[in-house]
Amino acid sequence: MAIDGSSDGPKLTGLGRVFIFLFILSCIGGAYYLFVGKKSFQQTTDKATSLLGGGPPVEIGIAYGTEKQRWLEWAVGEFAKTSDGRHIKVNLIPMGSLEGARAVVSGDQRINVWSPASALYKDIFVQEWQVKYSGDPILKEEPLALSPMVFVVWDERYQAFIQKYKVMSLETINQALKAKGGWDEIAHKPEWGLFKFGHTHPNQSNSGLMTIVVAAYTYHHKTNNLGLKDVLDVNFQNWLGDLERGASGFSNSTGNMMKEMVLKGPSSYDALMVYESVAIDYLKNAEGRWGQLRVVYPEYNAWNDNPYYIINAPWSTSDQRKAADTFLAFLLTEPIQRESLKHGFRPANTNVAIKFADSPFEMFAANGVQVDLQKICEIPRAEVVNNLLASWQRAQGSR
Amino acid sequence: MRVRQHWLGLLSLFLCIPLATILSCKSPNKTSDSEPQFGTSADRVDLLFTYGSEKEKWINDVTETFNRGDHKTAGGKRIYVKAVPLGSGEAIDEVLSGRRQPDIISPASAAFIKLGNAQSQGKTGKDLIASTDNLVLSPVVIAMWKPMAEAIGWGKKPIGWADILTLARGQKGWEAYGYPQWGRFKFGHTHPQFSNSGLISLFAEVYAGSGKTSGLTVDDLSKPRVADFLSGIEKSVVHYGSSTGFFGRQMFSNGPQYLSAAVLYENMVIESYSQQVPFPVVAIYPKEGTFWSDHPIGIVERDWVTPEHREAAKTYIQYLLQRPQQERAITYGFRPGSVDVPLASPIDTTHGVDPQEPKTTLEVPSVPVIDAILNLWQQKKKPANVVLVLDTSGSMNDDGKIQSAREGAKQLVNLLSDNDRLSLLPFNSKMTWAVQNVPIKTGRDQLNRTIDSLFAQDGTKLYDSIDAGYQYLLTQSGDADSILSVVVLTDGEDTESTTPLATLMPRIQYDGEKQKIHVFTIAYGKDAKKSILDNIAQSTQAKSYAGTPQNIVEVFKDISTFF
Repeated sequence: MAIDGSSDGPKLTGLGRVFIFLFILSCIGGAYYLFVGKKSFQQTTDKATSLLGGGPPVEIGIAYGTEKQRWLEWAVGEFAKTSDGRHIKVNLIPMGSLEGARAVVSGDQRINVWSPASALYKDIFVQEWQVKYSGDPILKEEPLALSPMVFVVWDERYQAFIQKYKVMSLETINQALKAKGGWDEIAHKPEWGLFKFGHTHPNQSNSGLMTIVVAAYTYHHKTNNLGLKDVLDVNFQNWLGDLERGASGFSNSTGNMMKEMVLKGPSSYDALMVYESVAIDYLKNAEGRWGQLRVVYPEYNAWNDNPYYIINAPWSTSDQRKAADTFLAFLLTEPIQRESLKHGFRPANTNVAIKFADSPFEMFAANGVQVDLQKICEIPRAEVVNNLLASWQRAQGSR
Repeated sequence: MRVRQHWLGLLSLFLCIPLATILSCKSPNKTSDSEPQFGTSADRVDLLFTYGSEKEKWINDVTETFNRGDHKTAGGKRIYVKAVPLGSGEAIDEVLSGRRQPDIISPASAAFIKLGNAQSQGKTGKDLIASTDNLVLSPVVIAMWKPMAEAIGWGKKPIGWADILTLARGQKGWEAYGYPQWGRFKFGHTHPQFSNSGLISLFAEVYAGSGKTSGLTVDDLSKPRVADFLSGIEKSVVHYGSSTGFFGRQMFSNGPQYLSAAVLYENMVIESYSQQVPFPVVAIYPKEGTFWSDHPIGIVERDWVTPEHREAAKTYIQYLLQRPQQERAITYGFRPGSVDVPLASPIDTTHGVDPQEPKTTLEVPSVPVIDAILNLWQQKKKPANVVLVLDTSGSMNDDGKIQSAREGAKQLVNLLSDNDRLSLLPFNSKMTWAVQNVPIKTGRDQLNRTIDSLFAQDGTKLYDSIDAGYQYLLTQSGDADSILSVVVLTDGEDTESTTPLATLMPRIQYDGEKQKIHVFTIAYGKDAKKSILDNIAQSTQAKSYAGTPQNIVEVFKDISTFF
């Protein structure tokens, strides 16, 4: 390139001159910031530090299930604007519900609070903790927001399904999965292929584990006292084996499976079992792609109450424990609870109404979203859950 | 401390002015010249991203914008992404072997992640890629010329893999549908070991052969019915290849006499509407189900990916999933990977595709079943009969050209399948058949020894040698079911042939029926006449390459994917 200003070298255009002028102006602005602006920024920071009495803010880490990611991220932002929020820095650590429990037991010192999707894994967590440490690992617990399990299904296929089976349940889904010609046998629709039902991996995701718990209650037609005898029953094991050999997906994230269903349409899944909150969150996105999605509530259901466990961990300071409690109180306040509704949750604070004009329970009523549930099952004991998982793994081994 | 800040402020101001001058001047060499070399700048985090070449245009477009933007890590370092398109299989192989060390990878489908993780688990006990997001989506379709699709009932009834595959296996070809003038049914898919759409085509063929739509087992692969079915279809394949993009473009530019149908991605059907084609192309969504090419993207789980690279990689991935980039993807014919972006034109029937399809999918087989499918394909694929016409003129002695050419030729021998055959015709002022019709299964050592014995001298009898190689293959009458190809490597101009170019060209012109031998050409070194060699390759529906002693092994490797 010519650098002597000869005629064939690069030329400065009119626009170029303007650009240089603006550039110099901005550089002067930058220099002003270095000389003067920096000073005023320093003053602001100093003021903030002085509010803390000179010390750094208390940091707490919350390992949480990703189903409530968008709500919690928003809540942390709001908390930071409060006077408490200036003293407390909340680090959100997204982890699958079960992954979070394992991280706490293995001594991950970033975690002071564990907030899985449900209490399903609590007893196992407590037992594992007590083997390694002693005492109760949970200082305090409160549910943050509730969500039952639902089937989410393409409406056209739901109509064809109930034409044949009358009701959608894990029992009728099991029958559909065994239909040899798939949709050809179910509704004379060979072009729909096999019946495709999915849920997440029970060993990696709470909603997958909850699906097989609900399956066990459904099979035994009861809502409590699910025992080892029920789980080890040969007929139940065979039935569960059939269901799980036919099911697909087994992702570690409920949100990712739901997203796949919306993006790939009925070619990927006819029906999924997911949290009600996840289904609501994606109903709008599904519009205008593959037809309407329908939300169906199983007769036997269970709550995912998103508990907030303040961990009695040896690495948590008393300031961190207090900070965790302060943030919990903030999450349960009415404005924050009301926001959880926008993400499809049912607020744990009973002062917050869930049926009003803009509520998803009104907006998506045509998709089948409803407040009332039928039979709510209790969370089984740790040894029952462990045996259910073992049964599921055996069924997978013979796939 | 404060004083140092003053000087830094002034220094940055003066340093900025020349940069601004360069940016605002008319100059043919713009920002690329001012970028430091990859991996050398201390204030920049350089990411290497290898990805399936199907999405090359979109990735180039949005990555260029990303690199121009001010994307920084928390530590204040600018993020720069070097994006390298590769075949999906190649991208995984390279990272498994460590030949290339990318930070991010995105093959065309999750099947390659599954295979890569299984191999990585076997070797290191660790996954290669832990978690992924889908960048964009495109279903695998059978792309067919609209009149041909209508002839088999498209638009009136659902069409399946089995229909296409029956047509491919039929002896009568298009005559069975009342169109004898269209000749044989010519089918194409890419090489399953290098390309995602090729692998997926094989899955579909095996499903159709076994009569299943899920639950394929290794035992299914040992059934004679499945093997016969596969072999019947593969006979109608024109040739293979490493890139679905090249395959699609060949189909669109060469017309129905070259390919009746090919397994492509939906986005390529849409792309055909932006170019001159003899007929519109439509997408057939097979009724038994198809597969999604879902372009998973993930960070590589290897030690060379530092925490800083990981952070930068997350920023880049997040950028690709944001609305503006996803909307750009739609303009290239891809369905967005983000649920917030609705489907829009050109994903519509006026571009030959149906946004309400596919209705169902086939199940991706387990890793042992995939391995068994690939083994069966190696046995049943269309065999190749190749003549290697190799320049050994005196100029090949320069710059180590003859040594590198020998290595490249041996690479071809090693990559051909056991059922293939190879002849070797070295030429200078004379042409001499070194060996003819050697079966690869038993003749690999002999062929490698023969190649090693070649030395360079005298002139260049190029056209006569191409003609001789071509005529020899024409006499191989028992080879109706083989891919017949001549591979020519030359480093210069013809000096001594009796056959002029004008006579040679009509003698080798591809017509899809009687003259269907492909002539792949390599213009080796700077003195080769590339335009002539390009014409020869083009008129025989083959590919031409620019070769150097440095890349010749890779060139031969790419050529081997066509067989």
